[in-house]
Amino acid sequence: MIESYLIDKMFNNAPFLDEMATDQGKIHPQWERLAKYYDQVGPERMAQFHEEVGRQLRENGVTYNVYGDPNGMNRPWMLDPVPMVFSSEEWDTVEEGLVQRTNLLNLVLSDLYGPQTLIKEGLIPFELIYNHRGFLRQAHNVKIDGDQQLIQYSSDLARGPDGKMWVLHDRTDAPSGSGYTFENRAAMTRVFPELIRENHVRKITSYYQTFKNTLSNLTTNNKENPRVVLLSPGPTNETFFEHAYISSFMGFTLAFGEDLTVSDGYVWLKTIKGLEKVDVIIRRVDDVFCDPLEFRNDSHLGVVGLMEAVRQRKVLVINPLGCRVLENPGLMAFLPKLSKHLLGEDLFLPSVATWWCGQPKEMEYVFEKIETLVIRNIYRGPNHKSIFGGDLSKAELQALKQKIRRSPYLYAGQEMVEFSTTPTWMNNKLEARNAVFRSYVVADSENKSYKVMPGGLSRSSPEQGAFLVSNQTGGMSKDTWVLGKAKDAATTVSKPIRIQPLVRNVLPSRTGERLFWLGRYLERSAYTVRLMRMTLLSYNEADEDIHIQENPVLNTLLQTLTSMTSAFPGFTDKSILKNPEPELLDLVRDIEKSGSLAYSIQSFLSNAYAVRDRLSLDTWRILDSISEELTKMRQSVKTLQQAYQSLDNMVVKLMAFYGLNLDNMTREPTWHLLNIGRFIESAVNNCTILRGMLCVSFDTESNKELMEDTLRCNESLVTYRYRYRSNLELQGVLSLLMLHEDNPRSLIFQLLEIDLHLRTLPNREDTELFSIERKKLLEAITKIRLCDVDKLAVADPESNGFDALKAFLDDIIELLHDTSDVVYEKYFSHTGSSYKMIQTSVIPEI
Amino acid sequence: MKYQVIHITDYIYEFPATLCHNLMFQIPQSNAFQTVEEYSCDISPKPSSEIARSDFFGNKYLYFSVERSHKKLTVASKSILELLPPPWISIRPEKTMPWEKVHAWLHSIEASSDIRQYYLGSSHVQLIEGIREYALKSFTPGRPIMEAMSHLNTRIFTDFAFTPGFTDISTPLAKVFEHKKGVCQDFAHFSLACLRVLGLAGRYVSGYIETLPPPGKPKLVGSDASHAWIAVYIPGHDWVEFDATNNLLVSDKHIRVAVGRDFADVTPLKGIVYSGSEQEMKVSVDVQALEEELAED
Repeated sequence: MIESYLIDKMFNNAPFLDEMATDQGKIHPQWERLAKYYDQVGPERMAQFHEEVGRQLRENGVTYNVYGDPNGMNRPWMLDPVPMVFSSEEWDTVEEGLVQRTNLLNLVLSDLYGPQTLIKEGLIPFELIYNHRGFLRQAHNVKIDGDQQLIQYSSDLARGPDGKMWVLHDRTDAPSGSGYTFENRAAMTRVFPELIRENHVRKITSYYQTFKNTLSNLTTNNKENPRVVLLSPGPTNETFFEHAYISSFMGFTLAFGEDLTVSDGYVWLKTIKGLEKVDVIIRRVDDVFCDPLEFRNDSHLGVVGLMEAVRQRKVLVINPLGCRVLENPGLMAFLPKLSKHLLGEDLFLPSVATWWCGQPKEMEYVFEKIETLVIRNIYRGPNHKSIFGGDLSKAELQALKQKIRRSPYLYAGQEMVEFSTTPTWMNNKLEARNAVFRSYVVADSENKSYKVMPGGLSRSSPEQGAFLVSNQTGGMSKDTWVLGKAKDAATTVSKPIRIQPLVRNVLPSRTGERLFWLGRYLERSAYTVRLMRMTLLSYNEADEDIHIQENPVLNTLLQTLTSMTSAFPGFTDKSILKNPEPELLDLVRDIEKSGSLAYSIQSFLSNAYAVRDRLSLDTWRILDSISEELTKMRQSVKTLQQAYQSLDNMVVKLMAFYGLNLDNMTREPTWHLLNIGRFIESAVNNCTILRGMLCVSFDTESNKELMEDTLRCNESLVTYRYRYRSNLELQGVLSLLMLHEDNPRSLIFQLLEIDLHLRTLPNREDTELFSIERKKLLEAITKIRLCDVDKLAVADPESNGFDALKAFLDDIIELLHDTSDVVYEKYFSHTGSSYKMIQTSVIPEI
Repeated sequence: MKYQVIHITDYIYEFPATLCHNLMFQIPQSNAFQTVEEYSCDISPKPSSEIARSDFFGNKYLYFSVERSHKKLTVASKSILELLPPPWISIRPEKTMPWEKVHAWLHSIEASSDIRQYYLGSSHVQLIEGIREYALKSFTPGRPIMEAMSHLNTRIFTDFAFTPGFTDISTPLAKVFEHKKGVCQDFAHFSLACLRVLGLAGRYVSGYIETLPPPGKPKLVGSDASHAWIAVYIPGHDWVEFDATNNLLVSDKHIRVAVGRDFADVTPLKGIVYSGSEQEMKVSVDVQALEEELAED
């Protein structure tokens, strides 16, 4: 395996250096153990390891999202079983270089938002900063305590043709990837425990310990136990997985912009108990999206008034707003000089060669070499993609030059680095792929220094010789191993972490709302599956030539299905009823059809995804399998037979989800809200089935069959037989499904469950014993307890239907809806915090 | 000249708004030729928090929030000011520096960032095609900058038709240029684009001006409006103000409130309101010359 890699490297890998192989076809010392190991295990076992690594990540639910791809949500995270490796000696240089660079950038940042001496002295061109959209004038002279204004720093590094590591990009706004790095390491540790031990791979956990310590040091409020939230753009963000992951593992509360509000200068988290003060915000929302009042007024990801709260020092935002100005390729050209000036040192880690077009000579050079350069806007944004000069036609080059000439200071030319390759497990063998390494640096405010994570996130390109390395375009990630003991191992032991895990579990109202809907969609899906199975069975049994309208049982089932799914007109439409198959299939698999099973399950999954930090890992495995089943259902169900099979599979998985949560979830508000949703939905569906199936009087046989189906839908047929040992009678069926408090499928059981869970929620109307929602529920419970089944089971001689039963059930449904509305209004209403921009829109007309 | 300015903004909501956060740029400041004798601001309902700050451009502004249900928000600024003729009145335009020299100076580190920042494009001042050619007709080679600016000011006044309602705050400059129509703000943005495309520093000035009623008619209260014009930087003379809408070199009738790169930096009142409904906005501005009244007494 290694032999062929080495040969391949010698003949086919020019012009790239390789991480493992020397140009003479030898192995670099830091790779020796690994190379030997790969040779020993051979390709077959490597393939198994690869699969095992993938399985570990899948089981931990590690995913990322691809923008603009409808199927791009929750892609499994890809990890190469072969790591990126640094020797101890080389790492010392890299570490030193990164600390120096972070120190330098921190000094530049402090100056730019303070006295601006560097601009005054001509060390940084004025245009390079004032034209950069990351230079936030609103943040001028706004500081956090201490000399360190840059708290988290990341950079992408790659090995240049001279064998040294070069910095390709600086990331200073809201660097991502550290959560994935931890998951990668966890998976590798499980699959290659000996390899990691034998190679003395350095542990990376100290990074987050330092981070926690620093937060606790920096916060001005509530130092002992600060409330920290991680502000995420939401579940559709590319790296949402790690927002949830980092939150739960650090003990932060995951929050979206809509969960937070500014009042009295403070930032507050909206929880189901009311507002709770926030001391620290770790933001993964880009700078200008953080406060629509002072920055982009079209942003709905931020918190209105946040910048003012920061100015009043009532909340600490990390990284501070304004750090993005350092994400500026043009600035790279000036760092060597700045390093000399500010630190009195040469820059240890070189940046990729950069020419800023704001200087006439440099612009001319860029024009001359444009075909060999990458042209970048100084501001990284969706509208400013890097341009590879070599890919452009003559005309395009001319147009680009013209664009640069018009505002030269907005552009920089950078050398295309032929960065090194590293062995990557692909196509069942080791192949050489170009790789980039992302490092993570964090301020250690206690020691007034910066700490580098000994490791990081490496990524390799999907194609040979391709330089574009990004998860968005299908690259693969790699764990990064730094071998050998750290120089200062003794001093890295930090003080015990001061941020304690939260004693009280805070539940943001929005999360509460999602859990409530999670419960509702779970039951809606389960009830839909059961009724559908009955319907499909009955449909298959029916004679082919009979008109459905003349088949009371089948017709009733179809009508009930339509009212349960609210997919009107559905089977109330006679033309659809004539040929019900397409509608039935759509009700199973059409995700666009509101009320269909696929739709309900999709809604169930997306609510689950939004609260993923609240669910256990095992739960994630089940959700994954539900998601897979849904995909199968949507893509391969073509006949009713297949549909039936798919329903069978689905119901088992849904029940597994429920069972697991029953076993695992702590009995906190999360659990209660999930169950309030569940039981409200069950009770409503229970009523809907009774109302649809049992309220019309047909011939005795048909009514019996409908009663049997009703019991089956509620999984209560066996219980009925066991209890009554008699023929099916309406009184008996109603008693069992409405009144028996020991039958978990009965209406009364469901209502009592709702009440049980409602009781645990904080009652905000202190003065009254019973909250409004519980009063509504009590009314429904009492109605059921007082009802006379014998009277309800008598058909109205005139209409030939069980009108009293129907009216009774309608009352209960209405009370349930009322209860649900009140719960909603009381606990989640402030989640609907829609706001908009107003401004003097009348133009001064003079 | 002494003036009293009353600037009232009302927001009326169909359904109550529960919370709003606002920024207000309506606080005039004193300088050598403008003395603010009194300033007060009345906000109703009373803000829950309120704090006056200085922005990056040196303006005073007010941040305030109203954290209870309200159907109407009223902000009333009142100021009394004394204006003197500004020093630039006595500059002889033909004696000022050639504009190319000003350009060279601005682009060296001799000039401070506070000045240089005003030669960069900004969100409302887009350096679109055709502007350079338009500007160069006034900024001929070697021409003294003030002379060239006066010429440009007059051309804009002549070429562009004052047309209320044709534009709003989101109208791109290209449309103003194409149709040669707009109001004071558009002319100010266009003047700035002409200066900045040549690398000269120009800034947006927001404020007020007294409008005089047609001869023989009484002046109506609230019939004035806020106004906008520009200032160009001339080394040795600091910022010199021009008003293209009225074809004027600004004298002692313009009351300045705030300066910035463009309208977006100095919007008189902007905010984020939590409300599901539409709102109606009413603005009234009343500028009165006080000394004349006293004289009549």
